Amino acid sequence: MGRIDEKFQELKTAKKKAFITYLTFGFPYISFTKDIILALQNTPVDMIEIGVPFSDPLADGPILQEASKIAISKGADSDKLFSVLNSLKGKISTPLIIMTYYNPVYRFGVDKFLNNAKKADVSGIMVVDLPVEEASYFIRKSRRLNIDTIFFITPQTQNRRIKEIAEASRGFIYYISVAGITGPRSLSLNSIHKNIRYIKKFSKIPVCVGFGIHKRTQVKELFKISDGVIVGSALAKFIKSSYKDKDFFNKLERFIKRLYV
Amino acid sequence: MKVPDRKGYFGEFGGKFIPETLSNALLELQEAYSKAKKSREFRKTLSYYLGDYAGRPTPLYFARKLSNKLKLKIYLKREDLLHTGAHKINNTLGQVILARYMGKKRIIAETGAGQHGVAAATAAALFGFKCEVYMGDVDLARQKMNVFRMRTLGAKVIPVASGSRTLKDACNEAIRDWVTNVKNSYYLLGSVVGPHPYPVIVRDFQSVIGRETKVQIIRKEGRLPDYLIACVGGGSNSIGMFHPFFYDKDVKFIGIEAAGLGLNKKHAATLLKGKKGVLHGSKSLILQDSFGQISLAHSIAAGLDYPGVGPEHAYYKSIGRAEYAAVSDKEAMSAFMSLSRVEGIIPALESSHALAYLGKLARKSPNALVVVCLSGRGDKDLEIVRRWAE
Repeated sequence: MGRIDEKFQELKTAKKKAFITYLTFGFPYISFTKDIILALQNTPVDMIEIGVPFSDPLADGPILQEASKIAISKGADSDKLFSVLNSLKGKISTPLIIMTYYNPVYRFGVDKFLNNAKKADVSGIMVVDLPVEEASYFIRKSRRLNIDTIFFITPQTQNRRIKEIAEASRGFIYYISVAGITGPRSLSLNSIHKNIRYIKKFSKIPVCVGFGIHKRTQVKELFKISDGVIVGSALAKFIKSSYKDKDFFNKLERFIKRLYV
Repeated sequence: MKVPDRKGYFGEFGGKFIPETLSNALLELQEAYSKAKKSREFRKTLSYYLGDYAGRPTPLYFARKLSNKLKLKIYLKREDLLHTGAHKINNTLGQVILARYMGKKRIIAETGAGQHGVAAATAAALFGFKCEVYMGDVDLARQKMNVFRMRTLGAKVIPVASGSRTLKDACNEAIRDWVTNVKNSYYLLGSVVGPHPYPVIVRDFQSVIGRETKVQIIRKEGRLPDYLIACVGGGSNSIGMFHPFFYDKDVKFIGIEAAGLGLNKKHAATLLKGKKGVLHGSKSLILQDSFGQISLAHSIAAGLDYPGVGPEHAYYKSIGRAEYAAVSDKEAMSAFMSLSRVEGIIPALESSHALAYLGKLARKSPNALVVVCLSGRGDKDLEIVRRWAE
């Protein structure tokens, strides 16, 4: 059983849902990522997604585009990412998941990227622009290393593909709440609920919801109908506005607690 | 071998590397396109508008004076004479008619120099679509006249201030719009790039260039040409010219990329200098660093200023079917002046790259029979040329 599966087991026993946060690696500067991952260990955050910054993040809204741009300008690259993650080994309890676009992985070398991820104790990986049809080698290699492959299902995904995606997914399925890009927005809970129920017909693995989540009420509602939520842009926005503050890590804790139910 | 294959691969290049939200839209597009391709009515409609509206067939003009000067036999395929002034209209008419068949209500497009944007706005106006064109604000500033043309045609031009603020980012922004409005919007991609089936759709609509050329050159010369030369940015006019000659093994293809300020400085020579990667939905050659961050391209010709290239070109290069070379800003500029003075034709700066290669070819193969794709006219570039001259 992988660390993500264990985490969901643990949550299930405690009758809790997963609260997952997304961080762009190297935003607003490289050593900050390590500090914030350590700080999040003292909050209710269950898992952490680390985003590999990319020059052309075409699924991201303005907030994460800017985070990516700043991170790249600070020299964030895959070598530095793995060295930061290696330095965290043994110091954290939250499973780490890498989220990336495909080109940084492909250029770095799929084998090399996944081997490095394994060495750095990464539990799962999701690639925004790698649909299952293009992912067969990537999946085989990840299985061999016991890294969970997390795929996306969206309101646009046809029913016949849902089964295929569910079968390729490990750890959890990432349900994208809306047709659109990342960034705070209001959500249509009824359709999310309906779609998650449909996905559950094909798969026993947990379904977590991301994109648009920025309010406690959303988290509360989504916890009722899914296995967890992912908060990305809202956290990046908070980091941008507060990271220079002396008491940033206290504020971070309060920020998480305000969202968490 | 049939290319692309069922999954949209030209050899190892192509494919569909897209966020999940677009998977359905691309399947829908694929199905609609294969139906349209077989429909007599669709082909009749397209051929009517290409003829009476856009001005096809375009002449294959024997450039006698330029031929004498360079000791080659040079024909120019006059895509510059088309409505809106470039080959882009071949594709936008085809895709807008397709969008109408699909029942879409709104057209989204990206543009660099504005030629595809103008052609998209034109076709959208003709068929009554709402049209929104994304354009990097750097390009917006240097191509003011095309921005005004698009607005005159009723399109909304949306400035893109993200990333490098040029074509690459206009593409990103158009895709973001498409992801968000995927149900009612049609993404009208302007070159042979992007996820499958776009490289095939655009290639098919541009292949009219090569098909006409084949008939015309046989009528005039009684044989096929020794060389086909065309410029390559994303690669749509060149693939349109090359593709119908693919099995004519004696016809050599030469694609000309932009060497910009020099191949060791800032340039847009993706096929010559790029590495394998994935950008805007397909695997191809890309200008990028060793961590996969996309580099900024540079060319004086905004239409060549793109760090990627169509997967079919990467394939032609990998199997040796086409040869690729690069021409600098300076060489292109001098070819621009030369054609204007010698033949009385002002070429687009993009096409000037193809023309600039003729001197090199003459030294290698004197008296060869050559067809150059004159993909567009140079009116849009006059301001840039004027500033260059100063």
